[in-house]
This record gives sequence, C-alpha cells and structure tokens, in this order.
Amino acid sequence: MSYKPHLERADSYRVATVIATDDDNRTADGHFKSRRKMPTKAAKKENLDDLKQELDIDHHKISPEEMYQRFQTHPENGLSHAKAKENLERDGPNALTPPKQTPEWVKFCKNLFGGFAMLLWIGAILCFVAYSIQATTSEEPSDDNLYLGIVLSAVVIVTGIFSYYQESKSSKIMESFKNMVPQFATVIREGEKLTLRAEDLVLGDVVEVKFGDRIPADIRIIEARNFKVDNSSLTGESEPQSRGSEFTHENPLETKNLAFFSTNAVEGTAKGVVISCGDHTVMGRIAGLASGLDTGETPIAKEIHHFIHLITGVAVFLGVTFFVIAFILGYHWLDAVIFLIGIIVANVPEGLLATVTVCLTLTAKRMASKNCLVKNLEAVETLGSTSTICSDKTGTLTQNRMTVAHMWFDNQIIEADTTEDQSGVQYDRTSPGFKALSRIATLCNRAEFKGGQDGVPILKKEVSGDASEAALLKCMELALGDVMNIRKRNRKIAEVPFNSTNKYQVSIHETEDPNDPRVLLVMKGAPERILERCSTIFINGKEKVLDEEMKEAFNNAYMELGGLGERVLGFCDFMLPSDKYPTGYKYNTDDINFPIDNLRFVGLMSMIDPPRAAVPDAVAKCRSAGIKVIMVTGDHPITAKAIAKSVGIISEGNETIEDIAQRLNIPISEVNPREAKAAVVHGAELRDVSSDQLDEILRYHTEIVFARTSPQQKLIIVEGCQRMGAIVAVTGDGVNDSPALKKADIGVAMGIAGSDVSKQAADMILLDDNFASIVTGVEEGRLIFDNLKKSIAYTLTSNIPEISPFLAFILCDIPLPLGTVTILCIDLGTDMIPAISLAYEGPEADIMKRRPRNPDVDNLVNERLISMAYGQIGMIQAAAGFFVYFVIMAENGFLPMKLFGIRKMWDSKAVNDLTDSYGQEWTYRDRKTLEYTCHTAFFISIVVVQWADLIICKTRRNSIFHQGMRNWALNFGLVFETVLAAFLSYCPGMDKGLRMYPLKLVWWFPAIPFMLAIFVYDETRRFYLRRNPGGWLEQETYY
Amino acid sequence: MPTITEDCIDGFQQYYSRPPEMPKKKSIKQMIYDAEENSYFGRTVESWAKIGIFYIIFYGVLGALVAICMWAFFLTLDPRIPKWKLESSIIGTNPGLGFRPLPPVDNVESTLIWYKGTQYENYKHWTDSLDEFLEVYKVPGLTPGRGQNIYNCDYNQPPPRGQVCDVDIKSWAPCTKENNYSYHKSSPCIFLKLNKIYDWRPDFYNNSQTLPADMPSSLKNHISELEKTDPIKLNTIWVSCEGENPADQENIGVVKYYPIRGFPGYFYPYQNSEGYLSPLVAVHFERPKSGIIINVECKAWARNIKHDRKDRIGSVHYELLID
Repeated sequence: MSYKPHLERADSYRVATVIATDDDNRTADGHFKSRRKMPTKAAKKENLDDLKQELDIDHHKISPEEMYQRFQTHPENGLSHAKAKENLERDGPNALTPPKQTPEWVKFCKNLFGGFAMLLWIGAILCFVAYSIQATTSEEPSDDNLYLGIVLSAVVIVTGIFSYYQESKSSKIMESFKNMVPQFATVIREGEKLTLRAEDLVLGDVVEVKFGDRIPADIRIIEARNFKVDNSSLTGESEPQSRGSEFTHENPLETKNLAFFSTNAVEGTAKGVVISCGDHTVMGRIAGLASGLDTGETPIAKEIHHFIHLITGVAVFLGVTFFVIAFILGYHWLDAVIFLIGIIVANVPEGLLATVTVCLTLTAKRMASKNCLVKNLEAVETLGSTSTICSDKTGTLTQNRMTVAHMWFDNQIIEADTTEDQSGVQYDRTSPGFKALSRIATLCNRAEFKGGQDGVPILKKEVSGDASEAALLKCMELALGDVMNIRKRNRKIAEVPFNSTNKYQVSIHETEDPNDPRVLLVMKGAPERILERCSTIFINGKEKVLDEEMKEAFNNAYMELGGLGERVLGFCDFMLPSDKYPTGYKYNTDDINFPIDNLRFVGLMSMIDPPRAAVPDAVAKCRSAGIKVIMVTGDHPITAKAIAKSVGIISEGNETIEDIAQRLNIPISEVNPREAKAAVVHGAELRDVSSDQLDEILRYHTEIVFARTSPQQKLIIVEGCQRMGAIVAVTGDGVNDSPALKKADIGVAMGIAGSDVSKQAADMILLDDNFASIVTGVEEGRLIFDNLKKSIAYTLTSNIPEISPFLAFILCDIPLPLGTVTILCIDLGTDMIPAISLAYEGPEADIMKRRPRNPDVDNLVNERLISMAYGQIGMIQAAAGFFVYFVIMAENGFLPMKLFGIRKMWDSKAVNDLTDSYGQEWTYRDRKTLEYTCHTAFFISIVVVQWADLIICKTRRNSIFHQGMRNWALNFGLVFETVLAAFLSYCPGMDKGLRMYPLKLVWWFPAIPFMLAIFVYDETRRFYLRRNPGGWLEQETYY
Repeated sequence: MPTITEDCIDGFQQYYSRPPEMPKKKSIKQMIYDAEENSYFGRTVESWAKIGIFYIIFYGVLGALVAICMWAFFLTLDPRIPKWKLESSIIGTNPGLGFRPLPPVDNVESTLIWYKGTQYENYKHWTDSLDEFLEVYKVPGLTPGRGQNIYNCDYNQPPPRGQVCDVDIKSWAPCTKENNYSYHKSSPCIFLKLNKIYDWRPDFYNNSQTLPADMPSSLKNHISELEKTDPIKLNTIWVSCEGENPADQENIGVVKYYPIRGFPGYFYPYQNSEGYLSPLVAVHFERPKSGIIINVECKAWARNIKHDRKDRIGSVHYELLID
C-alpha cells in the first residue's frame, strides 16, 4: 500500500542480535577508558560463546508435540501446579536480574576515602598521634590536637555522608523507573485460566496474550488470531510483524512462531508456550551483556581527578618541604608534625567536592525540569562536552505520528499543516477536488478515535488502526469536523480490506444525499495501482479522461511527493449506477461483483512522520555550537534524507554524492567524494565498510545520515566517532541500542518510547523523547562547566591566605595569624554558599555559539586558573589578611617588628609577662586572646576580600557591569557569608568553642582597600582581555 | 572569536585532534630543558621573562599597596600610648605576675628553678640571669630617659606626669648580687614583678576590715599591723607566695619579702614614661625543703586583681627544686 520497499530489512536485524563488542576497556580510539582491571580474556570469550550457543535454540523448529514433551506441558491444560512450582524453584522468577550494583558500603567507603578525604584522614591521624604523644609526655597536654583531629574526622565523615547521600538520591530516581506497574499474564495450568504476575511464569507454561499486552516471556506460539507484535525494542523494526504458529525461518528472531519477552502485542490474540524465562530470554541476554560493559570515566570525573591530583600534589609538596624546613630550623619534630597538619588543612579545599556535587545536583534538577533526567550526576556535564550527537529519527527528531503532509488534487500539490499545534498554513477546503478527496479519505478508512478522549486535541488523540489511516482520520477530522458523524450519514454497505497483494482498500457507501439512490464506491491504495484502475480524473469539478498528459502530471506529483520521503496514497471513487446496483444489492467482497475498474481518479495524499516543531531550531543551535548531528535511523534513506533536510541535519545547499551525480548527470563513481559535504549512508553499505572507510565517511562529511541501520550498527558508528576523538551522545530506545548507549560517552534513552533495558544502560533519559531537550541539556552542561570553573577559582583563591599564615609562622617566627579551626570555618562555612551560588550564574555570552571544549586541552582546572587564584588574587587576599593581623597586633601593643622571632616566647605557657612595644606585659592568656582575635580578624578579612573575589568570579571575560548582579543566589551568598562571619565572631560562647572573639567594628575595615584592589585589578585585567582577544594576557590568565 | 569557530565548523576540521600519545615519562632532563621546544621547565626563555616581569610588576604594586596601607596605619598610632587601653584593649585590666630568674631559653616551656646550692657552676645560670635582669635597675644609664626623669617618690609623694620612681636596690638585702642572691645557701631569692598595663590603677586593700577571705593570714596580719603603724603604706599591691598544695606549703619554709611585701602604689599608673622600671619584690625562701619539687604560687593582691590559677592571671606559678 505504500511507497516503501523493504530493502534487506530482515538482514539488518539479524546482525542486531549478535552482540560482538568485546569490551576491551578502551575507547574506540585506543585510549583506556578507566583504570579498572582488565577482565580475563577467557572469561569474556566464554561469555560470548555462551551467548552464541544460546541463540541456537531449536524450540521453534521442533514439532509442537515434541515441544510439549520437552516441557511436559499440554496445549489445553498447561502445566500441573506441582510441575510449575518445581520449575519456579529450579529456574527462579521470570525477571531480568538487575545489573550488579556496587554494594552500598563500598559506595560509602568510596566517598569516605576518595578525593581529598585521604589527605584529611592523614591530617586527622597526625593530630591524634601528636595528641597522644603530648598526653603521655606532658603533664597538662593541650586538647587542641585532639580537638582538631576530631573536627577533621568529622569533616571527612560528614562530607562523605553528604556526597553519598547526593549520589544515592540521584540513583533513587532510577528506582522509580524500575518499579513500574507489575505485569500480569494469563496462564493456563491444569486446564484452569489463571492471572499470575509475570515473574511467576515458568518454562512450559501456556500463556494467552492479547493486543496491548507485553509478552511476558519468550514464547512459542501455538495458536494465533491476527496476531501482530512490535519488535522494535528488540530489532529496531518499527513495523508490527504478524506472528503465527508456523515455523518459517531458521533464525529464531525471524521465524513467525516465536514472540519475545518485553516486546508488545499490537494486534490480535495468541496462545503460546513459554520456552525461556528471565535472563535466558533474548532480551535478558542483551541486557546482561550491556550491563557487563563498563562505561569509562565521565569527562567531568576525569577533570575532577586531574584537579584533585593537582591540589594533593601541591599539599604534599608544601607539607613535606616545610616539614623538612622545620627540622632544619631546629623545631621539635612534634612541632613539625603540627605544621604538617596545618599545611594539609590549609591546602585542601575541604568543602569543594561537596560544592561540586551540589552544583551538579542543582543543574541536574534544572535539567530534569526541562525533561532531561540525569541518572548519573557526572553525566550532567558530559552533554556539555559532547561534540557529536547520534540521534534517532523516529520520535526523537519527529513527532512519531504519521501526519498528512501533502495532497494532490486539481492538478496541484497542496501543503497540509503538519505542525504539532496547527499553526501552519491553511488550505482551501471548498474546492470540489478537495471535497471529493476528503470524502474518500473519510469513508475509505477504518481508523477510529478511541473513546473517552473528549478534551484531548485532535492530533493528540489516540486512534485504533493503522498509522496511515490514523493520519487520514486526523487530517479529515481537522478539515471537516466530526468524521464519525459523516461516516454515519454515509453508511458503509460493503468493504474490501487492504491486503498486500492487491494493495488497495475499497468500501461502498450510501450517500448522504437522500435524493440520490446511487451508492458510492471509494478506493484508496498504492497510487500506481489506483491509477491503473481509473479511466477518468476529476479536475476542477469536472470529470476528464485520463489521458497521457494527466498521467504525466500524476507521475510528476507522485515522484515529487515520494522524493520528499513521504508515504503516498492514491484515491479514487465511482458512483455505482442505481439501475445495476439498487438498494439492497448483495455486494460480495470475496468474489467481487461490482466494478473496480474504470474508476474516477481524485487525487493523492501523502503522509510523513513530521519533524517536531522545536527540532530544526535545536539542530541549528547544535550546528552553531559546533556539535555534529548524525541521524541514525532504521528508515528508508529517502525518508531519512527528507527529514534530515527538513530539520537541517542536511543543510540547504549541501549535496550528497548522489545529488551531485544527478545534477551533473554523471555516474556516482565519477563524483569526487570530497566534494559532497553531506552523505546518506545505507545500512547495507555500512556492513561492508572497514573501520578506515567509516572513519573517512565521518571525517569528510559534515552532515551524515545513516539510514536502514540496525541498532547494532549504531555501536559501530559510535565507535567510529569516538575514534575521531569526539565525545559522543547517542539516543536510543530499543533493547538492542543498549550496547551503543553504554559505549557512548553519554547514552540518552527515551522516557516514553524507551525500553527499560535502554533506560538502564543510559546515563540520561529524555522524558519527552524530544531532540530539543538534548540541546537544552548541552546548554546546561556547558554552563555548569563554566560555572564550576568559576566556583573552583573562587574556592581555591582563599587557599593562599590560608596557607601563608602557616608559612609565615614557621619562617618568620611570628605568632600564628590564622588557626586551623578558622580555616575550616572558611572552607566549610563562609565559602560554601557563595561557591554554590556560582552554579546559578548565567552565561556570559551565547555558550551555544562556541565549539565544544576540547577534552584534551580545555581542563576544568588549568595552570591559568591556578596562576590567577594562587598567584594573583590569593596573594592580594593574603596581603589583606596579614595587614589586618599586623593592625590588630600593633593597636594592642605589638608593633610588627616586635613580632618577628617572638613565637617561642609567645607560645610558651611559662612566660607570663611578655613585653610589647609599649612596655605592657602580657600574660599567656591575654596573648592567646589577642592571637585568637587576630585569627578571627584574619578570617573576617578573608570574608571581606572574598566578597570581591565572588563578584570577579562571576565573569571570566565580561565586565561585571555588563553581567550585572542579577544572580540572587549569589547576592544571598554575599549576605550569608557576612552574616555567618559576624555570627561566628560575635555570638557569645564562640570564644570557648571555636576560639573566635568579637572584633571591634574598625577591624573589619583594613581589608577593604585590598578588596577594592582585587575588584579593580580584575576589572582591568578583563578589560584588556576583551580589548586584546588572544593576546598574551589571555594566554596567561584566561582560565 | 566567532570567526574562528565558524571556520572550524564549516571546514572539514570537525574534530579536535588528539595530542600525540606521550611516552609515559618525560626524562627529567627533558623536563628541565627541552631542546626541541627550547624550553626550560615548559616555557621558553622569552615566555619566562614575560611572566616574570608580569609577576614582578604585580607583586611590586601589591607591595606598594601594603606599604601605603601600613604607612597610613602607622600615622594613626602614637609611639608612646597604645591605641587601645585597659578594657578596650585585649590586655584587659587584670595584670599577671612575672618572676625572675627564668629557666634557660631553650627550655622556654619550663618554670622550674632547679639547682644545687653547693656548686657555683650549677646555680650560675640563675644568678647570671638575675644579674642581667637587675642591671637596668643598677645602672640608670641603660634605660633611656631614666636619668633625667627619675623622681624620689614616696606614698605621699607620687611622681608628676612624665617622671618615674626610683627602685631602691639596696633594700633587697639579702637578695643582692654580692650575696649571690642567697642561692649558694640553698635559700634562693626570686624576684616578682607585676605586669605593666598602660594606665592601670590598682584599687588597694588598704583596710584590714575588708580583706578577702582567701587572702593568706600572714598577709592579713601584716596588713592589719601596718594599718596601726604606718597606714600610709597601705596603698600597696600586696604579694603573697605560698605552696600550691598542702605538701608544698609544708615544704616551702619561711618566706620573706624585700623591700616591702608588695608593690608600692605610687608606681601606678604605668604610662610608658621614659625610664620607667617596674617595682620588684624579692621573695626570699629562707629554708625550702631540698630534694623535692615545691610548687609555688605567688599572687598579687588588689581589689581589682582577680586570680585564676589555670589562666595565671593575678598570679604566677613556678617550681623550686634544690638538690
């Protein structure tokens, strides 16, 4: 009935079931994906062999009797309860084993000992060691080290629990998918019909399946009535396939007498014997294999590891250096250990990993609200780095709904409105040509709206019946109004349903004109077949003889519409003369006793699954964002190309080799393949190309459509793209897509159409199946990468004013300007909210106008960021802190010069009368109060300079005056850190708990010049950055 | 920027080229100097020079900013008067006590005075350090301004502003240098001084009726006796030294105070006048038990001095061990 030859379709899914990807822990280009241990080759081989062996089932080949024998079952009575119970105990429930989960405690330990945690544990252990030594050697040991050790351990444990909690929360989202509505199956046991949960099915059970059901296990069909299954999730085959009891093919996937677990029955009913259950089903084996594939580290995880190594390296280097220096300077080794602790604590941004987690969570939430559900937090950013998207067509790029796109009548092509919201052009609905065409389309149509959908817009209504008829029905409903009523008024007398041999459908109706006793014959079908049966054509209200000229016009229209990739139907009608066919005439539809030749041709209607409205825009965005969009579809190349053109995957003016050949009128072989930027690759070709040739295709064509591909070939395409160095996003919904989804850097499953297995394999789920949602995901991913940079730059900056006091303490012998507890107050207190608030920062420029980041070069934390944070802004901050320190010391009596070299006396409890610059003498307690006041002031001054740091971190290139202060989370962060700092300083009791003392108001001010300096310096720097793009300053300071 | 991007997208260069796989380890030599790129530690000489100059300028300007801030800040300071005094300063209003001699510097955490009375070498450190400490009291010229500002103070004759009181060193006998501060007799003298706090004025216990309950009875007796004989001298910050624990109190023996049992009130307030020296009390332990550590706690007594053994305010703690 349609213009749609089935070209080697069967073959395409034969390969589909043989999963031949031996995961060697390398990405396609040979880079190692992760540091996991290589699985032993032998085990892997066995696994694959196992799979192949199990494919060689013969349940479909043997005679039914033999099968009943084998399973000890009976077609009418089914299994005995005892046997069923025995089988259930032997084989376990009929369900897929969920993929092996890392045990919760392992996950927890990873959070507890991963990242910086190890470094902090070392710090904590050193604290306890130092304390126990002090406790045993000194009479009145100070509890400081014990206290600090406990605090450090608490910090590690709390941040560990926090990230664990975040992780488990995001994995909980998945569980909601797992616990879907339980499936029930109708089973016959001991001659009784039972409704059981699908899990309780066992081998040999006789089950009944009807349309709308999911097949509960792999079954061999023993009885079928008009039974059709949708195997798309297994094979990628989108057309429903009929199934019966006859054995037709050696291949279990193609033989008609098998239906597979988790596919859907779309029509009819059937009865069958369960031949395999759970993990042994075809679906189960594929799922098992996909879950066995290990996905490597996500790009952001790589970045974070890189960053952790960097910071840990600095911490260890500084720690060891100063440990040694302290020894050389003659410090006691215990002092040296305490210095080491201080340096570790100061160096490690304790709150940073939690901040990153929160930032990613926030983005994940934001993406979820835009229909991108992220399963794995780290995948949030992966989309941002994506440079190639391999997208499905059906449902993702298109609406997954056949819609009438064009009509041809009165010798002209009329465009119908295919938009989802009917916002397109309207056509003339009054011409006689349209009236005649619409009458046929309305009457010669078996599709009906399902009941109970009154409020639903017509296009969204569910229809029972074939997709093309549904399209016609909706089109007519839109054009004429109540179709059912029209059909009622034109009562159907007889009907010849569509079949694949005659490729037409005929029905005979009484007309609504009561004065006309004639009945109307309407016919639709494959256009060329319809035309054959016509002798006249209805043009502009007149019936004309169908001459060669008209046939030419018909052919042109047919070719044009076919060239658009549309499925074309021809329509004709005929008024049966009332004398020959009076009322009550018995029409025989089996042995046709009415004319079906010399009819009146009326027109053509063509249908397509139109692109979603937002897709062309989204594709254009991808293009400007430097992301290559590759369409991978099981559809016919012409349809695929037409959709690719209409959504912009093949942009206007770009030609394929075939186009060039046609234009120049030369054979394809003479076209220089380099000239064609676009390519439409047929799945059949793809099977024969070597990986080098595939590389060539991917490299030399910017716009590629893979048509007639099996989900399996998707994997080859993904690998090819990865070999090119691309970070690949893949969409998929079928079970067979799951290896590709796993192999891709980010697998995107479809929330509506996707199978459970694909959702499990994917990193992200599009809740609305819409390609445009991926683009929002890309946008969010890029934004969060930028914002994480800012957040890290902000957090790292305060490391310098944290470390430098320790270094000064050791090298200059001054009283300690900033204590470890205060450092923790900054890292885990005042810095946290502002750092997180940077995740809410808007983009600086159109982030969708630049290329995706180069994963090998554009790191999250690079030397420029470190240079900025540590070398420049951090130094200004340290200067501010020390200035405040010296101010407070001097105002209380210790002028700076007095402080150098005073450390030993200062820290000695025995010295109860330390003289200051004014001759005043200080007791130990008063000195310490002064010191802790200095710590507080240093802390406050860091908060003050961090105001400026936060504001400058808002932008990496733009002026803050351009960016504005509209990020209210950030503004809140500013207020929050200030209030928290004030609270820590002024709250009574803090002197006992955290050794924070109330500050005089004036001691807040000395940091202000430095705060302004940071602001002015960075505004100036960015001004030159903008003025001299690509200049030296950019190379050295643009992070 | 946008032009670059567009070029990249429209051309055939749609993929980032992977950097060539590095051999696992660059040799250290290559890290220091890479002949291929003519770079030292990853940068060429020119590049090092540029970044070096940048940072020199950057830190130069930052240093200048700090210097300006410091300079401006010092303009607000008075060289003789601390910016914050008494309650508004962290030093507060509760002075502590200090003692001399101190243990050697490399043993700065210790407060143990430990020596053998029969060996000069053994107590030499203690007497030497007292010599050094008392030098300024003996030679007025060592303290700038002491010469011209010295004033002969008495209880009814407090010094005028800017003048300082003399400390009579002769009245310390037997705790004098000539007498080895009595160390050789195993009856050491320890000198006490009250911490100086700018502008701090004592509130004397000058009435025997209002003495606090925890004041040692010997001191109470001393005060009430003085009240009868020489009431003007009651304006004194009293000093008491006792063993910390009952055992120590037994072992400590007789304690004598020279020249008087406290710091005369006319020395206060301390106003950082040129030449000011703290008054001292020499505490003479006449017969401390030898061979055992004696924990001594000395307290200063005035109404506005609170005592806290743990924080050592209003008091000082040290140990004596005479072999």
